Amino acid sequence: MEIRPILSALLRNSAGALLVSIQIAITLAIVVNAVFLVSKRIETVSRPTGVDENHMFTGWMSGFGKDLDFHNMVREDMILVRSIPGVVAATPTPQVMLSGSGSSNCMYPLPNEKGDCQPVAYYEQDEQGLAAIGARLAEGKGFAAEAIEWRAKPSQSSPKSGQVVASRAFLEKLFPGEKSFVGKVIYDNQSQPETVIGVIDHIQGSWLDWDKVEHVMLRPMVGTGPSIQYLVRTKPGEIDRVMADVEAALKKSNKNRVVGKLEKLSRMKERSYSGHTMIVMILGIVTALVVVFSCLGIFGLATFNVNTRTRQIGTRRAVGARKLDIARYFLIENWMVTTAGVVVGCLLALCAGYWLSTHYGLERLDLYYLVGGVLGLWAVGQLAAWHPSLRAAKVSPAMATRTV
Amino acid sequence: MFGYYLRLAFASFKRNPGLTALMVMAIALGIAVCLVTLTGYRAAANNPIAAKSDVLFVPAVDNWDPNNPYDRDKPWRQPDLLTFRDAEALVSTGIPDLNVIMYKVADVMSRDDSGMEPEAVLVRATSGDFFPMFDTPFLYGSGWDRRADAGPEPVIVLSKDLNQRAFRGENSVGKSVRWHDREFRVVGVLNDWLPSPKFFDVSNGPFNDMEGAYVPFRFGKQFEMGAAGNTNCWKTESIDSFERFTQSECIWIQTWVELRTPDKVRAYRAWMDNYVTAQKKLGRFPRPLNNGLYDVEGWLKFNNVVGDDRKTMVILAFAFLAVCLINTVGLLLAKFMNAAPVAGVRRALGASRRDIFWQHLVEAGVVSIAGGIAGALLGLAGVWALRAWYGRVIDEFGRVLPFEVGSLLLAIAISVIAGLLAGMYPAWRIGRSAPASYLKVQ
Repeated sequence: MEIRPILSALLRNSAGALLVSIQIAITLAIVVNAVFLVSKRIETVSRPTGVDENHMFTGWMSGFGKDLDFHNMVREDMILVRSIPGVVAATPTPQVMLSGSGSSNCMYPLPNEKGDCQPVAYYEQDEQGLAAIGARLAEGKGFAAEAIEWRAKPSQSSPKSGQVVASRAFLEKLFPGEKSFVGKVIYDNQSQPETVIGVIDHIQGSWLDWDKVEHVMLRPMVGTGPSIQYLVRTKPGEIDRVMADVEAALKKSNKNRVVGKLEKLSRMKERSYSGHTMIVMILGIVTALVVVFSCLGIFGLATFNVNTRTRQIGTRRAVGARKLDIARYFLIENWMVTTAGVVVGCLLALCAGYWLSTHYGLERLDLYYLVGGVLGLWAVGQLAAWHPSLRAAKVSPAMATRTV
Repeated sequence: MFGYYLRLAFASFKRNPGLTALMVMAIALGIAVCLVTLTGYRAAANNPIAAKSDVLFVPAVDNWDPNNPYDRDKPWRQPDLLTFRDAEALVSTGIPDLNVIMYKVADVMSRDDSGMEPEAVLVRATSGDFFPMFDTPFLYGSGWDRRADAGPEPVIVLSKDLNQRAFRGENSVGKSVRWHDREFRVVGVLNDWLPSPKFFDVSNGPFNDMEGAYVPFRFGKQFEMGAAGNTNCWKTESIDSFERFTQSECIWIQTWVELRTPDKVRAYRAWMDNYVTAQKKLGRFPRPLNNGLYDVEGWLKFNNVVGDDRKTMVILAFAFLAVCLINTVGLLLAKFMNAAPVAGVRRALGASRRDIFWQHLVEAGVVSIAGGIAGALLGLAGVWALRAWYGRVIDEFGRVLPFEVGSLLLAIAISVIAGLLAGMYPAWRIGRSAPASYLKVQ
């Protein structure tokens, strides 16, 4: 192979090649880290929510006035909302999934604070709760109407019925190694027992960036007010009309209740993930552009080299080099420049990945991404040099005899 | 000479329009991406009360769980909120010039004469010192005094927006509104006031909406209102009344103090240490003594308001700009070397090396200025597009991504400086080449 002569020609006139190598090195560092970050974010955003968020909406309601009977207001409103065509189910609840605000507690597998307490987000709901969020029970059953506690006085204690529906991820942490959880009893720090009557395979809590996002439980109760959310699930394709109908009906029915803005859960989800989406968009664009510019850089260098060496190519052709030899020369030269960049780029990418992970608490760079980046850049480099190399091969042997 | 070099530069652009466009585009895209990420970064890194930044302080004490620090990743961090009892103690020291104790509550506001559509309003229960401490602009009236704090007297300050809805924007001072089923007398109406980030309440979101009204802090306890923001607890306590809640280890209150002299800062720090040490004797504060007194800048950093994502994006954006510039250097080099025979002729006719250098540097400068301007426009388009996208899901997008001249000028300056640096090497290379070698072959 003609590696030695290519190398010595490269070293003779190294400025352009050096620039392209540096460019490729930085490109590799950017691409590998950006693609890694982006894919992690996409993974996060596309986790299943476990609820039917595309057909759900919610709104804050606040009762006011001297004679406010909050529970009566909620009961009447629920009858009204559930009677509107297109509504599948509705529940009063202070906590809404995907929204970024909610409540949490820490629960023990044993009384008297024995065992490891597991943090959990909880939703207080009535008997239509499960249907209103569209979550599927893997085991057991949901709450009966009689189990719902309409709490008379504010307090931190767990619901009187002692029933709870919980997520599998949470229960598996509390009872490692167990398969079935119906009938298990869990305790808060006051040792009040709550018996698991149903298990949900997948459901997310209120905070999507929480590392225990799948630790969730449903509690059968309605608080003391005076504010609460009404969470409504609709039939597919009818959410916009149902939202308008519900808002109009509620506003008309009771003058001592403020109807807050109704909002779709899909929009809440988008908002909760807007930071991730923004990262994905900006880094996605940067990645695409940086690869394009590296291509152009390689293309530019190869073209420049071919242009300045037409006489030399002509001479080589005149003394017997085949077209293939000429094309191969430029492809190998380009491969060497790319490889130099890739080697430095690997170091740079690893350093940048390490620095990002220690400084900003991001995950450590996965090496598969580095391998992928190296292979990708090699391919891109050869593609970019393809056209100039073919042009070089077409230089006629007669060029050797010309002066320019 | 400069005019002549400019003419030469434009003649050279005409010879290779594609290559020139490519160079301008490379710089423009690099600058545009930097501008977009810088805009988000600078919005969050902004200090909206810079003039008083080093006399306003947030006291922080660590009352958390002996076994689990508040922030498991950064165990040295104190909680970012206070218990009710500690907050009350921290504002009754008599040392600071101004004291603020506050939290956020929510309830329905209306008018007895039914001149207002009832609505749920977020209200900041706070001290009268809030207004002078944070230099709030008043449209009508003013805040309240310490006597109103102590009462508490039913006085209320409305935001401009809420005054618009409640009183159609007229001077409402002296009139009354009903909130939490109680009459409050309007003493002041704020003018437009939108500090960004919302430095005085970053615990509940640095870009969250401003409150609609302000009432004396003590009404919160009197009405037994829980926080409409974050509340965190760690300790096993039976909390069966609001009174017990205010005595618990749950945190939900914020305090700010204004300490105008270093002596006062020292005295306040000493007071905090004494307070926590005394509380330890009573069996509280099981963690090691770890008090913090953060000024505005320090508090914004402590809460990582800028966020790791924004920093990472800025770093990657500048790395991208570096690639774009190296690309331009390479293209300039190729272009100049291709045209070396012309430079050879000029040298032979008497142009000095320096003349050749300057001539080519002018050409590089024109490319970078064009790239900078195109990049600024492209960047503005990018910010505009992101705002349009953000606007669908977030109401406060204008604060997250403001249009501002600062970032724009910064971007153009970066591009010109970077462009000239990028042109330096190719210009130097061409200036150095010997004229004879190019004349020979002609």
